[in-house]
Amino acid sequence: MIETIAGSRCPRCEAVVAPPERFCPRHPVEMTPVELPGAGEIVSFTTLYSPPAGFRSPLHIALVELEGGARFVCHGAETRGLRIGSRVAIEAVDDVYYFSHLGAIDRARLFWRRAGRAGDRAQAIVRSLTKRVWKGTQRGSS
Amino acid sequence: MLDVWVLGADMTRIGRRDESLQDLMAEAAHGALRAAGLEAPDALVVATMNPEEFVGDGNFASNVGTYLGLAGTPAIRVETATSSGAAAFYAGFAQVAAGLRRTVLVVGGEKMTHLDTPRVSELIGRSIDPYERSYGATMPALAGLVTRVLMARHGVGPREIAQVAVKNHANALDNPYAHFRRAVTVEEVLESRMVADPLRLLHCCPISDGAAAVVLTAERAAVRVAGVGQGSDTLALRHRDDLTGFAATRAAARAAFAMAGFGPERVEVAEIHDAFAPFELISLEDLGLVPPGKAGHATLDGETARDGRLPVNPSGGLKARGHPLAATGLAQIVECVWQLTGRAGPRQVDARVALAHSIGGLATNNWVTILEGA
Repeated sequence: MIETIAGSRCPRCEAVVAPPERFCPRHPVEMTPVELPGAGEIVSFTTLYSPPAGFRSPLHIALVELEGGARFVCHGAETRGLRIGSRVAIEAVDDVYYFSHLGAIDRARLFWRRAGRAGDRAQAIVRSLTKRVWKGTQRGSS
Repeated sequence: MLDVWVLGADMTRIGRRDESLQDLMAEAAHGALRAAGLEAPDALVVATMNPEEFVGDGNFASNVGTYLGLAGTPAIRVETATSSGAAAFYAGFAQVAAGLRRTVLVVGGEKMTHLDTPRVSELIGRSIDPYERSYGATMPALAGLVTRVLMARHGVGPREIAQVAVKNHANALDNPYAHFRRAVTVEEVLESRMVADPLRLLHCCPISDGAAAVVLTAERAAVRVAGVGQGSDTLALRHRDDLTGFAATRAAARAAFAMAGFGPERVEVAEIHDAFAPFELISLEDLGLVPPGKAGHATLDGETARDGRLPVNPSGGLKARGHPLAATGLAQIVECVWQLTGRAGPRQVDARVALAHSIGGLATNNWVTILEGA
Protein backbone atom coordinates (compact mmCIF):
# COMPACT_ATOMS: atom_id res chain seq x y z
CA MET A 1 0.00 0.00 0.00
CA ILE A 2 1.45 3.37 -1.05
CA GLU A 3 0.93 6.13 1.48
CA THR A 4 0.28 9.75 0.66
CA ILE A 5 2.68 12.46 1.77
CA ALA A 6 1.61 16.07 2.17
CA GLY A 7 3.59 18.61 0.17
CA SER A 8 3.23 22.02 -1.40
CA ARG A 9 3.80 23.56 -4.83
CA CYS A 10 5.04 27.02 -5.76
CA PRO A 11 2.58 28.75 -8.12
CA ARG A 12 5.49 30.75 -9.55
CA CYS A 13 8.24 28.16 -10.25
CA GLU A 14 6.22 24.90 -9.89
CA ALA A 15 8.77 23.58 -7.37
CA VAL A 16 7.29 20.96 -5.04
CA VAL A 17 8.50 20.49 -1.46
CA ALA A 18 7.62 18.05 1.31
CA PRO A 19 6.57 18.46 4.02
CA PRO A 20 4.55 21.53 2.96
CA GLU A 21 5.98 25.01 3.51
CA ARG A 22 4.01 28.21 3.83
CA PHE A 23 6.24 30.11 1.36
CA CYS A 24 8.30 28.85 -1.57
CA PRO A 25 12.00 28.73 -0.47
CA ARG A 26 12.93 30.59 -3.68
CA HIS A 27 9.97 32.93 -4.18
CA PRO A 28 8.11 35.12 -1.65
CA VAL A 29 4.73 33.62 -2.55
CA GLU A 30 2.34 31.31 -0.66
CA MET A 31 2.49 27.67 -1.74
CA THR A 32 -0.48 25.48 -2.73
CA PRO A 33 -1.04 22.16 -0.90
CA VAL A 34 -0.44 18.96 -2.92
CA GLU A 35 -0.50 15.24 -2.14
CA LEU A 36 2.44 13.09 -3.22
CA PRO A 37 2.75 9.30 -3.48
CA GLY A 38 4.95 7.87 -0.73
CA ALA A 39 7.39 6.28 -3.16
CA GLY A 40 10.45 7.36 -5.05
CA GLU A 41 14.17 6.93 -5.70
CA ILE A 42 17.08 7.15 -3.29
CA VAL A 43 19.11 10.33 -3.95
CA SER A 44 21.55 9.64 -1.12
CA PHE A 45 21.78 7.99 2.27
CA THR A 46 24.04 7.91 5.29
CA THR A 47 24.41 6.07 8.57
CA LEU A 48 25.29 7.95 11.75
CA TYR A 49 27.29 6.07 14.35
CA SER A 50 27.17 8.84 16.98
CA PRO A 51 23.66 10.24 16.44
CA PRO A 52 22.36 13.18 18.48
CA ALA A 53 20.58 12.71 21.80
CA GLY A 54 17.22 10.97 21.38
CA PHE A 55 18.35 8.69 18.50
CA ARG A 56 19.81 5.16 18.57
CA SER A 57 23.00 4.17 16.76
CA PRO A 58 23.24 3.23 13.94
CA LEU A 59 20.85 5.86 12.59
CA HIS A 60 20.01 5.53 8.87
CA ILE A 61 18.95 8.73 7.11
CA ALA A 62 17.94 8.86 3.44
CA LEU A 63 17.15 11.59 0.95
CA VAL A 64 14.43 10.32 -1.41
CA GLU A 65 13.13 11.95 -4.58
CA LEU A 66 9.37 11.36 -4.47
CA GLU A 67 7.32 10.55 -7.57
CA GLY A 68 5.84 14.05 -7.41
CA GLY A 69 9.28 15.69 -7.61
CA ALA A 70 9.89 16.76 -4.01
CA ARG A 71 12.91 15.49 -2.13
CA PHE A 72 12.11 14.01 1.26
CA VAL A 73 14.19 13.13 4.33
CA CYS A 74 13.32 9.93 6.16
CA HIS A 75 14.70 7.10 8.29
CA GLY A 76 15.21 3.45 7.38
CA ALA A 77 15.62 0.18 9.24
CA GLU A 78 18.72 -0.76 7.24
CA THR A 79 20.75 0.24 4.18
CA ARG A 80 21.94 -3.23 3.09
CA GLY A 81 21.65 -3.50 -0.69
CA LEU A 82 20.60 0.13 -0.94
CA ARG A 83 22.17 2.34 -3.61
CA ILE A 84 21.59 5.67 -5.26
CA GLY A 85 18.62 5.19 -7.60
CA SER A 86 17.06 2.33 -5.59
CA ARG A 87 13.26 2.48 -5.62
CA VAL A 88 11.76 2.74 -2.15
CA ALA A 89 8.37 3.07 -0.51
CA ILE A 90 7.86 5.48 2.35
CA GLU A 91 5.52 4.90 5.24
CA ALA A 92 4.75 6.71 8.46
CA VAL A 93 5.01 5.04 11.86
CA ASP A 94 3.84 7.36 14.66
CA ASP A 95 4.28 10.38 12.38
CA VAL A 96 7.89 9.47 11.59
CA TYR A 97 8.62 8.49 7.95
CA TYR A 98 10.63 5.39 7.04
CA PHE A 99 11.79 4.11 3.68
CA SER A 100 11.77 0.45 2.66
CA HIS A 101 12.51 -1.40 -0.57
CA LEU A 102 9.48 -1.18 -2.80
CA GLY A 103 7.57 -4.48 -3.30
CA ALA A 104 6.65 -5.71 -6.80
CA ILE A 105 2.91 -5.19 -6.24
CA ASP A 106 3.45 -1.62 -5.07
CA ARG A 107 5.66 -0.90 -8.07
CA ALA A 108 3.00 -2.28 -10.42
CA ARG A 109 0.29 -0.22 -8.76
CA LEU A 110 2.41 2.92 -9.01
CA PHE A 111 3.08 2.46 -12.71
CA TRP A 112 -0.57 1.59 -13.28
CA ARG A 113 -1.64 4.86 -11.78
CA ARG A 114 0.95 6.91 -13.62
CA ALA A 115 0.99 5.45 -17.13
CA GLY A 116 -1.59 6.61 -19.66
CA ARG A 117 -2.67 3.91 -22.12
CA ALA A 118 -3.18 0.25 -21.28
CA GLY A 119 -0.21 -0.77 -23.44
CA ASP A 120 2.05 1.70 -21.65
CA ARG A 121 0.90 0.35 -18.33
CA ALA A 122 1.71 -3.25 -19.19
CA GLN A 123 5.11 -2.21 -20.59
CA ALA A 124 5.87 -0.14 -17.52
CA ILE A 125 5.09 -3.03 -15.21
CA VAL A 126 7.30 -5.38 -17.21
CA ARG A 127 10.10 -2.78 -17.24
CA SER A 128 9.75 -2.33 -13.52
CA LEU A 129 9.93 -6.04 -12.80
CA THR A 130 12.85 -6.53 -15.21
CA LYS A 131 14.75 -3.67 -13.57
CA ARG A 132 14.16 -5.21 -10.19
CA VAL A 133 15.39 -8.65 -11.26
CA TRP A 134 18.41 -7.05 -12.92
CA LYS A 135 19.22 -4.99 -9.81
CA GLY A 136 18.79 -8.12 -7.67
CA THR A 137 21.28 -9.95 -9.87
CA GLN A 138 23.74 -7.07 -9.58
CA ARG A 139 23.44 -7.07 -5.83
CA GLY A 140 24.06 -10.81 -5.70
CA SER A 141 27.21 -10.58 -7.79
CA SER A 142 28.79 -7.48 -6.20
CA MET B 1 33.64 52.75 -4.05
CA LEU B 2 36.98 53.38 -2.32
CA ASP B 3 39.85 50.89 -2.46
CA VAL B 4 40.10 48.94 0.79
CA TRP B 5 43.42 47.66 2.16
CA VAL B 6 44.44 45.26 4.93
CA LEU B 7 46.69 47.22 7.28
CA GLY B 8 47.21 44.55 9.93
CA ALA B 9 46.37 40.90 10.59
CA ASP B 10 46.85 38.48 13.45
CA MET B 11 45.41 35.34 15.00
CA THR B 12 45.79 33.10 18.02
CA ARG B 13 47.13 29.59 18.01
CA ILE B 14 44.10 27.41 17.26
CA GLY B 15 43.35 24.37 19.43
CA ARG B 16 42.22 23.49 22.90
CA ARG B 17 42.71 26.76 24.79
CA ASP B 18 42.22 27.54 28.48
CA GLU B 19 41.69 31.29 27.98
CA SER B 20 38.22 32.86 27.84
CA LEU B 21 36.65 33.76 24.48
CA GLN B 22 37.21 37.43 25.32
CA ASP B 23 40.91 36.83 26.01
CA LEU B 24 41.34 34.91 22.75
CA MET B 25 39.64 37.71 20.80
CA ALA B 26 41.76 40.31 22.60
CA GLU B 27 44.94 38.43 21.68
CA ALA B 28 44.00 38.47 17.98
CA ALA B 29 42.52 42.01 17.96
CA HIS B 30 45.38 43.69 19.83
CA GLY B 31 47.85 41.77 17.64
CA ALA B 32 46.18 43.06 14.47
CA LEU B 33 46.11 46.63 15.81
CA ARG B 34 49.83 46.38 16.70
CA ALA B 35 50.60 45.02 13.23
CA ALA B 36 48.64 47.98 11.78
CA GLY B 37 50.45 50.48 14.01
CA LEU B 38 47.07 51.70 15.24
CA GLU B 39 45.89 52.18 18.82
CA ALA B 40 42.15 52.32 18.14
CA PRO B 41 40.00 51.91 14.98
CA ASP B 42 37.04 54.07 13.91
CA ALA B 43 34.70 51.07 14.19
CA LEU B 44 34.62 47.44 15.34
CA VAL B 45 32.95 44.42 13.73
CA VAL B 46 32.68 41.27 15.87
CA ALA B 47 31.98 37.74 14.61
CA THR B 48 30.86 34.93 16.89
CA MET B 49 28.47 32.18 15.85
CA ASN B 50 26.79 31.37 19.13
CA PRO B 51 28.39 32.92 22.25
CA GLU B 52 24.97 32.87 23.95
CA GLU B 53 25.11 29.09 24.18
CA PHE B 54 28.83 28.29 23.90
CA VAL B 55 29.92 30.66 26.69
CA GLY B 56 26.67 32.16 28.00
CA ASP B 57 27.26 35.78 26.93
CA GLY B 58 25.09 37.99 24.72
CA ASN B 59 25.19 41.56 23.43
CA PHE B 60 28.53 40.43 22.19
CA ALA B 61 29.70 43.41 20.12
CA SER B 62 29.54 45.57 23.26
CA ASN B 63 30.88 42.75 25.43
CA VAL B 64 34.03 42.35 23.31
CA GLY B 65 34.32 46.07 22.51
CA THR B 66 34.41 46.93 26.20
CA TYR B 67 36.79 44.07 27.02
CA LEU B 68 39.20 45.22 24.30
CA GLY B 69 39.23 48.74 25.73
CA LEU B 70 37.17 50.12 22.84
CA ALA B 71 33.97 50.90 24.74
CA GLY B 72 33.53 54.20 22.90
CA THR B 73 33.99 52.66 19.45
CA PRO B 74 30.87 51.87 17.37
CA ALA B 75 30.58 48.06 17.27
CA ILE B 76 28.30 45.58 15.51
CA ARG B 77 28.14 41.79 15.53
CA VAL B 78 27.71 39.76 12.34
CA GLU B 79 26.52 36.16 12.12
CA THR B 80 26.13 33.78 9.16
CA ALA B 81 26.75 30.48 11.00
CA THR B 82 30.18 28.96 10.25
CA SER B 83 31.08 31.70 7.77
CA SER B 84 30.52 34.53 10.27
CA GLY B 85 34.17 35.61 10.14
CA ALA B 86 34.02 36.15 6.37
CA ALA B 87 30.69 37.97 6.72
CA ALA B 88 32.19 40.26 9.35
CA PHE B 89 35.09 40.97 7.01
CA TYR B 90 32.53 42.04 4.39
CA ALA B 91 30.74 44.28 6.91
CA GLY B 92 34.04 46.01 7.70
CA PHE B 93 35.03 46.17 4.03
CA ALA B 94 31.68 47.77 3.10
CA GLN B 95 32.03 50.48 5.75
CA VAL B 96 35.48 51.46 4.48
CA ALA B 97 34.58 51.15 0.78
CA ALA B 98 31.55 53.39 1.33
CA GLY B 99 33.70 56.02 3.00
CA LEU B 100 31.76 55.72 6.28
CA ARG B 101 34.90 54.80 8.31
CA ARG B 102 38.62 55.24 7.66
CA THR B 103 39.70 52.21 9.76
CA VAL B 104 37.72 49.17 10.93
CA LEU B 105 38.90 46.36 13.23
CA VAL B 106 37.25 43.02 12.40
CA VAL B 107 37.64 40.25 14.98
CA GLY B 108 36.12 36.77 15.07
CA GLY B 109 36.38 33.99 17.62
CA GLU B 110 34.77 30.96 19.15
CA LYS B 111 35.32 28.94 22.32
CA MET B 112 33.96 25.37 22.19
CA THR B 113 36.32 22.77 23.66
CA HIS B 114 35.09 23.23 27.25
CA LEU B 115 31.82 21.49 26.20
CA ASP B 116 31.48 17.78 25.39
CA THR B 117 31.26 16.71 21.73
CA PRO B 118 27.52 15.82 21.66
CA ARG B 119 26.69 19.27 23.08
CA VAL B 120 28.96 21.02 20.53
CA SER B 121 27.35 19.02 17.69
CA GLU B 122 23.91 19.99 18.99
CA LEU B 123 24.82 23.70 19.09
CA ILE B 124 26.39 23.67 15.61
CA GLY B 125 23.36 21.68 14.43
CA ARG B 126 21.08 24.58 15.30
CA SER B 127 22.08 25.99 11.91
CA ILE B 128 20.37 23.04 10.14
CA ASP B 129 16.78 23.10 8.81
CA PRO B 130 14.51 22.15 11.77
CA TYR B 131 12.68 19.36 9.90
CA GLU B 132 15.94 17.70 8.84
CA ARG B 133 17.23 18.14 12.38
CA SER B 134 14.11 16.37 13.70
CA TYR B 135 15.33 13.28 11.78
CA GLY B 136 18.67 13.38 13.57
CA ALA B 137 20.52 15.23 10.81
CA THR B 138 23.79 16.74 12.03
CA MET B 139 26.41 18.59 9.96
CA PRO B 140 28.35 15.32 9.41
CA ALA B 141 25.07 13.60 8.40
CA LEU B 142 24.28 16.18 5.72
CA ALA B 143 27.92 16.19 4.61
CA GLY B 144 27.71 12.37 4.41
CA LEU B 145 24.67 12.63 2.10
CA VAL B 146 26.55 15.10 -0.11
CA THR B 147 29.71 12.96 -0.12
CA ARG B 148 27.88 9.82 -1.25
CA VAL B 149 26.44 11.72 -4.23
CA LEU B 150 29.89 13.14 -5.00
CA MET B 151 31.47 9.67 -4.89
CA ALA B 152 28.89 8.32 -7.35
CA ARG B 153 30.54 10.62 -9.86
CA HIS B 154 33.53 9.50 -11.90
CA GLY B 155 36.86 10.72 -10.56
CA VAL B 156 36.12 11.00 -6.85
CA GLY B 157 36.83 7.94 -4.76
CA PRO B 158 38.05 7.23 -1.21
CA ARG B 159 41.71 7.88 -2.11
CA GLU B 160 41.05 11.28 -3.70
CA ILE B 161 39.07 12.39 -0.64
CA ALA B 162 41.61 10.96 1.82
CA GLN B 163 44.42 12.79 0.02
CA VAL B 164 42.83 16.14 0.95
CA ALA B 165 43.23 15.31 4.63
CA VAL B 166 46.76 13.94 4.10
CA LYS B 167 47.84 17.11 2.26
CA ASN B 168 46.31 19.52 4.76
CA HIS B 169 47.76 17.70 7.76
CA ALA B 170 51.18 17.79 6.05
CA ASN B 171 50.83 21.56 5.50
CA ALA B 172 49.93 22.15 9.16
CA LEU B 173 53.24 20.59 10.27
CA ASP B 174 54.79 23.97 9.36
CA ASN B 175 52.06 26.11 10.95
CA PRO B 176 52.67 27.04 14.61
CA TYR B 177 49.07 28.32 14.77
CA ALA B 178 47.54 24.95 13.79
CA HIS B 179 45.42 22.71 16.02
CA PHE B 180 46.99 19.48 14.69
CA ARG B 181 50.68 19.38 13.84
CA ARG B 182 50.68 15.70 13.02
CA ALA B 183 50.92 13.95 9.66
CA VAL B 184 48.32 11.36 8.66
CA THR B 185 48.54 8.70 5.94
CA VAL B 186 45.91 7.70 3.39
CA GLU B 187 45.60 4.36 5.21
CA GLU B 188 44.99 6.05 8.56
CA VAL B 189 42.24 8.17 7.01
CA LEU B 190 40.62 5.17 5.31
CA GLU B 191 40.75 3.11 8.50
CA SER B 192 39.55 5.83 10.88
CA ARG B 193 36.22 5.44 12.64
CA MET B 194 33.09 5.80 10.50
CA VAL B 195 31.14 8.91 11.54
CA ALA B 196 28.48 9.45 8.87
CA ASP B 197 28.94 6.80 6.19
CA PRO B 198 30.91 7.36 3.91
CA LEU B 199 32.53 10.10 6.05
CA ARG B 200 35.15 8.99 8.55
CA LEU B 201 36.64 10.74 11.55
CA LEU B 202 39.79 11.87 9.71
CA HIS B 203 37.65 13.44 6.98
CA CYS B 204 36.22 15.86 9.56
CA CYS B 205 37.64 19.04 11.08
CA PRO B 206 38.19 19.17 14.85
CA ILE B 207 36.38 21.18 17.53
CA SER B 208 38.68 24.13 18.24
CA ASP B 209 39.06 27.38 20.18
CA GLY B 210 40.66 30.46 18.68
CA ALA B 211 40.34 33.95 17.25
CA ALA B 212 41.57 35.99 14.27
CA ALA B 213 41.48 39.68 13.37
CA VAL B 214 42.29 42.17 10.62
CA VAL B 215 42.42 45.95 10.40
CA LEU B 216 40.95 47.43 7.22
CA THR B 217 41.74 50.92 5.99
CA ALA B 218 41.15 53.29 3.10
CA GLU B 219 44.88 54.22 3.13
CA ARG B 220 47.18 52.34 0.77
CA ALA B 221 48.81 49.32 2.45
CA ALA B 222 50.56 46.07 1.44
CA VAL B 223 47.42 44.03 0.61
CA ARG B 224 44.37 45.24 -1.32
CA VAL B 225 40.90 43.69 -1.07
CA ALA B 226 40.28 42.97 -4.75
CA GLY B 227 36.82 41.44 -4.38
CA VAL B 228 34.28 40.10 -1.90
CA GLY B 229 31.27 38.00 -2.92
CA GLN B 230 28.41 36.35 -1.09
CA GLY B 231 26.13 33.54 -2.23
CA SER B 232 23.18 31.91 -0.51
CA ASP B 233 21.04 28.81 -0.90
CA THR B 234 18.11 27.02 0.76
CA LEU B 235 18.42 26.17 4.44
CA ALA B 236 17.12 22.64 3.76
CA LEU B 237 19.33 20.24 1.80
CA ARG B 238 16.18 18.54 0.43
CA HIS B 239 15.16 21.76 -1.33
CA ARG B 240 18.21 21.57 -3.63
CA ASP B 241 18.41 19.70 -6.92
CA ASP B 242 22.19 19.38 -7.24
CA LEU B 243 24.35 18.00 -4.44
CA THR B 244 27.62 17.66 -6.39
CA GLY B 245 28.29 21.39 -6.00
CA PHE B 246 27.26 24.32 -3.84
CA ALA B 247 25.27 27.05 -5.62
CA ALA B 248 26.15 29.45 -2.78
CA THR B 249 29.87 29.08 -3.53
CA ARG B 250 29.35 29.56 -7.26
CA ALA B 251 27.34 32.74 -6.70
CA ALA B 252 29.90 34.07 -4.22
CA ALA B 253 32.75 33.37 -6.65
CA ARG B 254 30.92 35.06 -9.54
CA ALA B 255 30.35 38.17 -7.43
CA ALA B 256 33.90 38.30 -6.05
CA PHE B 257 35.59 37.82 -9.44
CA ALA B 258 33.25 40.38 -11.02
CA MET B 259 34.31 42.92 -8.38
CA ALA B 260 37.98 42.00 -8.85
CA GLY B 261 37.77 42.36 -12.62
CA PHE B 262 39.67 39.11 -13.26
CA GLY B 263 38.99 35.38 -13.14
CA PRO B 264 40.16 32.32 -11.18
CA GLU B 265 43.22 31.90 -13.45
CA ARG B 266 44.93 34.74 -11.53
CA VAL B 267 44.58 33.00 -8.14
CA GLU B 268 47.92 31.64 -6.91
CA VAL B 269 47.06 30.42 -3.41
CA ALA B 270 43.70 29.52 -1.82
CA GLU B 271 42.32 28.84 1.63
CA ILE B 272 39.25 26.64 1.16
CA HIS B 273 36.53 25.58 3.62
CA ASP B 274 37.39 21.89 4.15
CA ALA B 275 35.24 21.28 7.25
CA PHE B 276 34.82 17.88 5.59
CA ALA B 277 37.61 16.74 3.24
CA PRO B 278 35.31 16.18 0.22
CA PHE B 279 34.20 19.83 0.48
CA GLU B 280 37.67 20.90 -0.72
CA LEU B 281 37.15 18.89 -3.93
CA ILE B 282 33.62 20.27 -4.42
CA SER B 283 34.76 23.83 -3.75
CA LEU B 284 37.81 23.71 -6.06
CA GLU B 285 35.37 23.14 -8.92
CA ASP B 286 32.69 25.55 -7.67
CA LEU B 287 35.34 28.29 -7.48
CA GLY B 288 36.56 27.55 -11.02
CA LEU B 289 40.08 26.80 -9.74
CA VAL B 290 40.08 23.41 -11.49
CA PRO B 291 37.87 22.27 -14.39
CA PRO B 292 34.62 20.41 -13.57
CA GLY B 293 35.26 16.77 -12.65
CA LYS B 294 39.02 17.25 -12.23
CA ALA B 295 39.40 18.09 -8.51
CA GLY B 296 40.08 14.48 -7.51
CA HIS B 297 42.84 13.97 -10.09
CA ALA B 298 44.33 17.42 -9.40
CA THR B 299 44.57 16.56 -5.70
CA LEU B 300 46.09 13.10 -6.24
CA ASP B 301 48.56 14.58 -8.77
CA GLY B 302 49.80 17.12 -6.20
CA GLU B 303 48.52 20.17 -8.10
CA THR B 304 47.07 21.57 -4.86
CA ALA B 305 50.06 20.64 -2.67
CA ARG B 306 52.24 23.42 -1.30
CA ASP B 307 54.75 22.98 -4.12
CA GLY B 308 52.06 22.40 -6.75
CA ARG B 309 50.52 24.63 -9.44
CA LEU B 310 47.94 26.05 -6.98
CA PRO B 311 48.72 25.60 -3.26
CA VAL B 312 45.42 25.01 -1.42
CA ASN B 313 45.17 25.35 2.36
CA PRO B 314 48.88 25.94 3.08
CA SER B 315 47.76 26.70 6.65
CA GLY B 316 46.41 23.16 7.04
CA GLY B 317 42.83 24.23 6.38
CA LEU B 318 39.91 23.67 8.73
CA LYS B 319 40.97 20.02 8.78
CA ALA B 320 44.31 20.56 10.52
CA ARG B 321 44.63 24.26 11.42
CA GLY B 322 41.24 23.81 13.12
CA HIS B 323 37.76 25.32 12.90
CA PRO B 324 36.82 27.77 15.68
CA LEU B 325 33.62 28.65 13.73
CA ALA B 326 33.43 32.47 13.52
CA ALA B 327 37.23 32.77 13.70
CA THR B 328 37.73 30.57 10.64
CA GLY B 329 36.75 32.96 7.83
CA LEU B 330 39.14 35.54 9.27
CA ALA B 331 41.90 33.00 10.02
CA GLN B 332 41.82 32.09 6.30
CA ILE B 333 42.19 35.77 5.39
CA VAL B 334 45.03 36.21 7.90
CA GLU B 335 46.86 33.27 6.28
CA CYS B 336 46.31 34.84 2.83
CA VAL B 337 47.67 38.21 4.06
CA TRP B 338 50.73 36.52 5.54
CA GLN B 339 51.31 34.56 2.31
CA LEU B 340 51.03 37.75 0.21
CA THR B 341 53.42 39.69 2.44
CA GLY B 342 56.09 36.99 2.81
CA ARG B 343 55.33 36.36 6.47
CA ALA B 344 54.26 32.68 6.28
CA GLY B 345 57.62 31.28 7.44
CA PRO B 346 58.42 27.71 6.38
CA ARG B 347 55.04 27.32 4.64
CA GLN B 348 55.58 30.40 2.43
CA VAL B 349 54.42 30.08 -1.19
CA ASP B 350 55.03 32.46 -4.09
CA ALA B 351 51.76 34.31 -4.73
CA ARG B 352 50.43 37.74 -5.60
CA VAL B 353 46.68 36.88 -5.61
CA ALA B 354 45.04 34.86 -2.82
CA LEU B 355 41.49 33.58 -2.41
CA ALA B 356 39.64 32.70 0.82
CA HIS B 357 36.43 30.64 0.67
CA SER B 358 34.09 30.21 3.63
CA ILE B 359 30.96 28.03 3.96
CA GLY B 360 28.14 28.99 6.33
CA GLY B 361 25.88 26.17 7.56
CA LEU B 362 25.57 23.38 5.01
CA ALA B 363 26.53 25.83 2.23
CA THR B 364 23.56 28.14 2.87
CA ASN B 365 25.60 31.34 3.17
CA ASN B 366 29.01 31.28 1.53
CA TRP B 367 31.72 33.88 0.93
CA VAL B 368 34.65 34.38 -1.40
CA THR B 369 37.29 37.01 -0.62
CA ILE B 370 40.06 37.85 -3.08
CA LEU B 371 43.20 39.63 -1.90
CA GLU B 372 46.00 41.11 -3.98
CA GLY B 373 49.55 41.85 -2.89
CA ALA B 374 50.85 45.30 -3.78
